[in-house]
Amino acid sequence: MMDLSEKQWVRHTVFHPFEGYEDLRWKKAGSLKISFLIIFLLFIALIVNNRLYAFHLWNDYDKLFNIVPYIVRSVVFFGAWVIGNWSVCTLLDGEGTLRKICIYSSYALIPYIVMLYATTILSHFLVYDEGVFLTCIHYIGLGWTYILMFNAIKSVHQYSFIKTAAAIFLTIVAMLIIMFLIVLLMSLFQKVIIFIYSIYTEIQYRIKV
Amino acid sequence: MIFVQGWIKKILTGLLSGVIISASSWGLVYADEAYDVYNYDRWGEAIPSQAGYLARFSVSGSELGTDDFSSPGDIFIDHNGLFYIADSGNNRIVITDNGLKEVKNVIDNFTYKGKTLTLKNPQGIFVSDDDEIYIADTDNSRVIRSDKNGNADLVIEKPVSELYPENLTFLPQKVIADKAGYVYVVVNNITSGSVMYNKDGEFVGFYGANRVEKTSKVLWKYFWKLISADNMKKYMKDSVPAPITNFDIDNDGFIYTCSNSLTQELDAIKKVNAAGYNLFADIEVHFGDAPTADYSNNPDNSYVDIDINKDGLISCLDYSTDRIFQYDEDCNLLFIVGSSGNQLGTFRQVSAVESDDTCIYVADSQKNTITVFEETVFGSIVHQATKLYNDGYYEEALDPWFEVLKRDGNYRRAYIGIASAMINNGNYDEAMKYAKLADSQWQYNRAFEGWRTEFINNYFGIISLVLIIIATMVLVIVRHIKKAKGGHRK
Repeated sequence: MMDLSEKQWVRHTVFHPFEGYEDLRWKKAGSLKISFLIIFLLFIALIVNNRLYAFHLWNDYDKLFNIVPYIVRSVVFFGAWVIGNWSVCTLLDGEGTLRKICIYSSYALIPYIVMLYATTILSHFLVYDEGVFLTCIHYIGLGWTYILMFNAIKSVHQYSFIKTAAAIFLTIVAMLIIMFLIVLLMSLFQKVIIFIYSIYTEIQYRIKV
Repeated sequence: MIFVQGWIKKILTGLLSGVIISASSWGLVYADEAYDVYNYDRWGEAIPSQAGYLARFSVSGSELGTDDFSSPGDIFIDHNGLFYIADSGNNRIVITDNGLKEVKNVIDNFTYKGKTLTLKNPQGIFVSDDDEIYIADTDNSRVIRSDKNGNADLVIEKPVSELYPENLTFLPQKVIADKAGYVYVVVNNITSGSVMYNKDGEFVGFYGANRVEKTSKVLWKYFWKLISADNMKKYMKDSVPAPITNFDIDNDGFIYTCSNSLTQELDAIKKVNAAGYNLFADIEVHFGDAPTADYSNNPDNSYVDIDINKDGLISCLDYSTDRIFQYDEDCNLLFIVGSSGNQLGTFRQVSAVESDDTCIYVADSQKNTITVFEETVFGSIVHQATKLYNDGYYEEALDPWFEVLKRDGNYRRAYIGIASAMINNGNYDEAMKYAKLADSQWQYNRAFEGWRTEFINNYFGIISLVLIIIATMVLVIVRHIKKAKGGHRK
């Protein structure tokens, strides 16, 4: 029973939101490679969704393009989620390892990513009045991902329903703290760099004079 | 081969235009005006633009053959094209010919019921189509109606009514009259609109008040009022709207008002219908300079005068930047004219604006002159195209719009106009192209809808055939895979 390849496991978990992760855990399956590929596809999907969406349905400020927000919204957010969840759940008797949390959560993102690509393609066939279909697909993809993500956390740590909800709430708090610390650290580093640079220029002037 | 050539052509034109653009950067462009002419793009960012109006000349009182003006407060052009200038500092009304070349008449006193009335700091002037002159005689607290020879037949004073607060002074600033003879007076300490009188000078009520902007401060006040006791409420001030500063009336009898409030942006410019409702309230428009330059919520523009010409073009005079913002009847920004300064075409302290078919006239109460801006060729083409477009003649407007683009490729309205015409023609491919250039999603949506319908009508047979083939192929493959899998499982 359940002798599936890694690709088949992805399909199994996505299409069995409530049992899939338990099976995945039981069979000790899941690939980190696929997980990274999914995050890369998420990064591409965010850009595609923002840039290639039909003009009459979505028009972003296009005088400049900055890739950093897309990196933050995909890689950084996901990393913060995984690390935040791991650090919270190790304290709350969670069973999941960092690797497992990464794999399980990234599988949960698949409906969202598919939704991003699907709405982008579909937007080129629909007019404004039919945009309600796109909204519909958007919410279906989002809801599916939420359910998957909840069950991923639930089964990776072997929690009860309420404990999972609490863990997710605490994870979001932990993410905020991580983000805050990153910003703080970056501004500190910036100050240090400016300080070193000003010393450097000062010495340079002295040498010249 | 054709494709390759097309590509080469595109690259070459791109390179060439790049060279031209870099060569004609700001310093080298020949500009006639004493200020940078600009307009706004779709994102609310200021971009250089062609001038729609050029300052031709400015006249002082002595150039017209009379004493110099002293802080002129208002100008008015009557139906014969004569100019009426309220020369506030000299307590007189100056009437000149229609080219602003020489003085025809100067009125400084009126006979009313055998008495002689003199003016004191008259701030407003209006002339009706049956040649009755209305003067807001500000410091004498009255409005005078007279004929051209100075025979006054009506003097309006502070209304005696329980609606009108008794303790307030009555200093009429501006005056207009509608076709029925009703007189409207702007008094700057009244926030409930202009004061309205009937033909016989009897007080009727107030007309055209602004709304109160729902800022957080106002809402906070409202909240406190809800929970405070009655004797506390007595000491609380009501939230009041900004008073109107000036107004004008168009051919159809609609009154346009402006407000010089720097704190309230709501109803700064409005078109009032007979019921007192602001017809511009539902149009998504931001009058004056775009807020992108300044991230505070306080509007920077403060309008002291507004004028509507025969074609329905709205000219708003901004006191804080000394600019005239010209809009068409649907509130699309056409041109921005003027600036602060001492040269021709710039102002020190603007006080009044008036416009006719081809010119804009601006009074400066510090320079004591009237500056005449004349429409450029570009301006006249834009006006022609706008008029045709707004009247629904999209295809007739096509040629002028292309002409506009030849002179200013950044003029967004031209792209919208062309896209509309193309949609009407059924030329959806081109329409989509121009709608995209105009950055107009709404036009693009219309063009795309048309294009899609046409596409489906033309290729319905092929599309359905392809779909059926794909569907059957998918079915066959799926069944095949299932069979293969089932065999393994067993």
